[in-house]
Amino acid sequence: MLREPPEGPDLLATARAVLLDELLPALPAEKAFAARMVANAIAIASREAAQDSAWEAEAVARMAALAGDPRAFAAAIRAGRFDPGAAGHAEAAALLDDITRARCAVSAPRALGKG
Amino acid sequence: MDDARRARLTEWLRAASGDAALAIGGMTLLSGGAIQQNWALDVSGERSWVLRTDNAATLAVSHGRAQEYALLRAAHAAGVTVPEPLFLCEDPSIVGAPFFVMRRVAGTAAAHRVVKGETFGGGREACVRALGRELARIHTIRPPREDLRFLGEPPADPCLAFVADQRSALDRQRHARPVLEWGLRHLERTAPPPVPAVLVHNDFRTGNIMLDERGVTAVLDWEFALWSDPHADLGWLCAKCWRFGNDAQEAGGIGPRAALYEGHGGVDDARVRWWELAAHIRWASIAVDQAERHISGVERNLELALTGHIVPGLEWEILRMVEARNAA
Repeated sequence: MLREPPEGPDLLATARAVLLDELLPALPAEKAFAARMVANAIAIASREAAQDSAWEAEAVARMAALAGDPRAFAAAIRAGRFDPGAAGHAEAAALLDDITRARCAVSAPRALGKG
Repeated sequence: MDDARRARLTEWLRAASGDAALAIGGMTLLSGGAIQQNWALDVSGERSWVLRTDNAATLAVSHGRAQEYALLRAAHAAGVTVPEPLFLCEDPSIVGAPFFVMRRVAGTAAAHRVVKGETFGGGREACVRALGRELARIHTIRPPREDLRFLGEPPADPCLAFVADQRSALDRQRHARPVLEWGLRHLERTAPPPVPAVLVHNDFRTGNIMLDERGVTAVLDWEFALWSDPHADLGWLCAKCWRFGNDAQEAGGIGPRAALYEGHGGVDDARVRWWELAAHIRWASIAVDQAERHISGVERNLELALTGHIVPGLEWEILRMVEARNAA
C-alpha cells in the first residue's frame, strides 16, 4: 500500500459523478451527447480496471487445448471442427460463452441481463 | 464551409440548375456523420435543398457520392419515398469532395425519438406496414441495370455470398473473432436455398428512415446498397440490435413484425430470422472497423472508440441466437 489513496477507481467514479451530476445539467443541449460518451468511457475503463484478469489466461489455456491460439481457434470453427455433434462442440461453446461473459462484464454488462 | 467554397458552389449550382440568379441564402451543417456530411442549403426562390458530401476518412465498403446519387435516382423512379435527387458534382475542387444535391424533406429520423413516439407514420402498425411497402418497392429493382453497374454481378446465392463477404472482412481485421466465426459457420450450415438477387438497401433501419405523423417522408442512407436476398433488409430492420431498446416492437422498435410482413408481401419468416442473426454479425464487424479507425489513428474519435465496446454485447446475442437455433 505505497500508492497514495484515493486510487484510480475511486477517482474515476468520483469524476464521473461530477460530470453527470454537475457538468451535464449546465451544458448546452448539443454537448450532452459528448458528455454522456465521456461518462460511458469512464465507466468502461473503471470496470476494466476492477476486473480480475485471471479469466484471460484461463481462456487462452482452454483455447490452446481445443485448437491453438485465437486465430487457430477461429479457423477451426470456420472449418466446421466444432459443429454440433462434433467432439469438442460443447467445450468450444462453453469457452465462447465464458470469454464473452467476461468481455461483456467490462463493455456491456446490461447485455448479460437475460443471459 | 468557407467563403471561397461557397462562391464556387454558387457558381456551380447556377450552371447545373440553369438559374443564373441563383443565390445561397443560408448554409448549415445538419449532421456530421462518421462518414458523410449533410448541409442544409436555403436557396433563392424558397428552395430547400440538402448537399451531401464525404468526410475526409470514409469506410471502404460504402459507395461514393456518384453511386449513391445513381441509387437515389433508381429508387425515386421505382416509387420509393426518397428525397428527389437534383444535381451531382464529381469534381472535388468545388467543395473539397464530390457531392450531390437533393430536395430537403421534413420529418424525424432520430431513432430514440421514433421508437418512443406513438404517432409517427400514423401509428405503430400503419408505420411498419408503410415501411414494408417501401422495402417492396426497393425490391422491384432487379439486375441487370446499366445505371447500377457499379454494384457488380449479382450473386448466384446471396446467403452464401454474405458469409463469404463477412469472412473476408474478418480476415482483414487486427484480431481473430471466434464468436463471429461461430455465428458465420452456423449461417453457412443453415443457409436457405438461393433466391434471385434484387436491390437491397442494406441499411434500412430505424434512424435511417425519416417519418412524420402521416407516414414515411424519406428513406435515407443508400451507400451500402447491393444485390442480395430481399429478406436481408427485413432481417436488418427486425434485428434486436436495431430496436433501440424497444424490444417488444420487433420491426425496428417501431411496430409489430406481422404488419411489416403484410406491407411487404411474400415474406418467408425463416429467411428473415436467418438474416437477423446475419445482421448481428455484420453490425459487430462494422463496429470493429469503426473502432479500428480510432485505434489506427486514421480518425481519433471517442464515438468510434466506444463503438468498439458494442461488440461484446452483440457477440453475446449471437451466441444466444445460435444456441436457440441449434436447439430448435
